[in-house]
Amino acid sequence: MLRRIFYIIDEALLTVKRHKGLTSISIVIMSLSLLMLAVFLLATDNVLKLVSEAQNEMKMYVYLDDGVSQTQAQDLYQKILQEPEVSEVQFVSKDEAMEDFRQQLGDDSDLLGTLRANPLPNSFLVTPREESKTRDAMVSLAERIQPLPGVEEVRYGREFLDRFAKVLKALYFVNGVVGFIVILSALFIISNAVRLTVISRRKTIEILKLVGATNGYILAPFIIEGAFQAGVAAVLSLGLLWCVAVLSRNVIPDITFFSTQKAAVYLLTCVVIGSIGSGLALRRMLKMR
Amino acid sequence: MTEPNPQNPRDERTVIGVYHLTREYGDRQALEDVSFTIANGEFVFMVGPSGAGKSTLLRMIYMDEYPTSGQVVVGPFVSTRMKRRDIPFLRRRVGIVFQDYKLLDDRTVFDNVAICMRITGASPFTIKRRVATLLNDVGLHHKQRQMPQSLSGGEQQRVAIARALVNHPSILLADEPTGNLDPDSAEDILRLLFKINSAGTAVLMATHDHSFVKNFGQRILHLRDGKVLEDHRTGLVGNMGDRLEAVRLERERQRRGDHEIRRRRADELSTRKSD
Repeated sequence: MLRRIFYIIDEALLTVKRHKGLTSISIVIMSLSLLMLAVFLLATDNVLKLVSEAQNEMKMYVYLDDGVSQTQAQDLYQKILQEPEVSEVQFVSKDEAMEDFRQQLGDDSDLLGTLRANPLPNSFLVTPREESKTRDAMVSLAERIQPLPGVEEVRYGREFLDRFAKVLKALYFVNGVVGFIVILSALFIISNAVRLTVISRRKTIEILKLVGATNGYILAPFIIEGAFQAGVAAVLSLGLLWCVAVLSRNVIPDITFFSTQKAAVYLLTCVVIGSIGSGLALRRMLKMR
Repeated sequence: MTEPNPQNPRDERTVIGVYHLTREYGDRQALEDVSFTIANGEFVFMVGPSGAGKSTLLRMIYMDEYPTSGQVVVGPFVSTRMKRRDIPFLRRRVGIVFQDYKLLDDRTVFDNVAICMRITGASPFTIKRRVATLLNDVGLHHKQRQMPQSLSGGEQQRVAIARALVNHPSILLADEPTGNLDPDSAEDILRLLFKINSAGTAVLMATHDHSFVKNFGQRILHLRDGKVLEDHRTGLVGNMGDRLEAVRLERERQRRGDHEIRRRRADELSTRKSD
């Protein structure tokens, strides 16, 4: 068994060493097509991050009628807190609201001096649970809070959420289509790059068959070689991607690179794609007797 | 020479049994009802013009192709019951040598021979010893670190022969092994094949050149248009040196059509016989 593994590794290394030109061409082709995939994945990753940040901001304001008493407000607080979607409820008094408003206005806060009384209502600031930060959950929560006694109005930016949901839907669709095309073309290019190596070694395969090598012995070094090439190509494409990301910081300052974990998953995936690609490219050759 | 014996294809003395073998490619019949057996340790020349079906017949024996009808038996392997996964194990019992050597040009002479043992899972020590012995036998021990391209044609063919022998095959198949070689190298290869045969390995050598092989007293299988025309043993003429000399002169005669040489050969042979 150990001898077999040594043989396979030896053979794979020998091919890489003896066919440096072909190996490098094949690695360059692979890394460029993987770069395409990597750019796509990074874009998706960043968009998803933006979406989740936007969703984190999701809050609901429950404005109270002017005449609501302390006990009524207390009652309302409990009721809202008991809703399953709600994680936190914070009371914001008229005065606190005015103070916030004054701060928001900044230099223009003088304008507020002309007001005789505070026109702002008391309110609750409702933070939904993580999993309830969706348009549908917000809509149904608002529908349950609105009819409670003492509630004047519920606001959570419904128009914005509607538009946001539509944009997200379109985004996921486009992302899916583009992703499908990109992954397919990467697979295609990689299996062709491997086929290049296989064709160049047709004679070797033929000879190995003539001297009595089993298919396993013929196939395995190629798979290791394909995995190796794809691995190197993946590292190269990550390097290129990093350069692309750094350069595009001038245009999109918030862009973030893959986490170590995601990069590792990406490398592993590429290695798997490489081995499968070589296996596919070899299948036809092995049908020969 | 053993008679074909289809009743007992596993006859221990038989290395190869070919029974009523026919091979068709579409309308064309490449081989037609061919039968013969080769015994352990036998040396057989298969002679016939190109297109007579020699290579096809050899391919049937190492089971690169199967007969349209009939049967080929090689040791325990029977063509009609062959599974694809058994083929590698058949190939290890049959050494094959080609006109174009078929060496791997991305590795050394040593590795070209060694790879056939590595794929059987032999230990590195066994491999090293066996390959060294064989390269010594074919006279290329000193060139084991070189690449095949740096060797002459004759040397490359000797590497191919060493490779074919490495797993102790019971028979060596040679398809025009001297076809690409100059007369001197061709002679060396033939000598080597005789030497291998005298050590016990059966040899089946295909060649289109009848004049080259007719004086060695070996069994000759004449193939023409896919049929066995004749299966006979030739008479020995003189000793090995004379025979090879005769071959050399014959070739020269063919090349130049020189009558002078033909006369000289006749004179030489008659003087030696009278000694």
